[in-house]
Amino acid sequence: MIGSLILRLTIWFLLTADFTVPNIIIGIAIAFLLPRGYTSPERIKDWLSMLKKILIAIPVAYIEAFEIIIRPHNGEDMILERAKMKRSPIMIFLDVFLITFTPKTIVVRHNQEGCYEVHRVFPIKKP
Amino acid sequence: MIDVLSYLFFGVGIFFWFWGTSHLVGKRSVLFKLHSLSVADTLGSILIVIGLLIKIPSRWPLLTLAIISLAIWNTMLGYVLAHCSSDEAENQKEFPTETL
Amino acid sequence: MNLLLIAMIAAMLIPMYQALKDDDIWQKMLALGSISSKAGIMTLFISVLRDDWMIGAVGAIILTVGNAGLMLLAHIIKRMDDL
Repeated sequence: MIGSLILRLTIWFLLTADFTVPNIIIGIAIAFLLPRGYTSPERIKDWLSMLKKILIAIPVAYIEAFEIIIRPHNGEDMILERAKMKRSPIMIFLDVFLITFTPKTIVVRHNQEGCYEVHRVFPIKKP
Repeated sequence: MIDVLSYLFFGVGIFFWFWGTSHLVGKRSVLFKLHSLSVADTLGSILIVIGLLIKIPSRWPLLTLAIISLAIWNTMLGYVLAHCSSDEAENQKEFPTETL
Repeated sequence: MNLLLIAMIAAMLIPMYQALKDDDIWQKMLALGSISSKAGIMTLFISVLRDDWMIGAVGAIILTVGNAGLMLLAHIIKRMDDL
């Protein structure tokens, strides 16, 4: 509830970049009036750990990008990665986002048993 | 100084673009091309927008929005394309058509 | 700045060539997605070049909504294949 309001207001202010009183009123009104989907209770701790993971993922993504550029990664395979059970949809979305954001790994499917099928590339030594 | 820094970001970003899209030509699997495209389109484009951000900091709200939406949409597009294209190729019976 | 723009256009020609050449639908989708994000970035870049922030707003809007259509299209293609 509070989380989605904050998200909408952030997007509104980034889009308009205008902190005058009428604009703030319009933004809050729109944030309240937009229909909400399901709401799932999330603990603050989950959000903080997810935020930390995202901040770590950005430099890791660039490091992996340079690794891919310097050494050609020709091998490709599929691995199964186990996810934590009983996660809410938004957390699953963020997990998928994190794995796919790094260039070496892409989530192909998230199946019902709580596994991600991850496709990845790796370097192969020339024989 | 600031000019040099922003040109450095542009240069690296455009290098990422060329490197990633050069893999698009050739006979590899869709998933392999997706990996190099995520380097080019997500990371390279973010570098270019950061270069713009350094050059013109006064427009930060618009450019920050551009960076965030670029990261989220490109990543999700990669996931959706990977999902859809791999479903077609292998194990059709895992998802029977009537449940879709 | 102009040279950088020319380099960007050259980088955009690669996926265009690929989209025209390849017959496989997924390779085509890949190339089109690449074109769409490159076009958005180029719009932002041109807006800085010309110091015109209306163009910049257009670029930001392209980036925010641009790829959603391709995602829907991917799902439609998959659904058509399943039928």
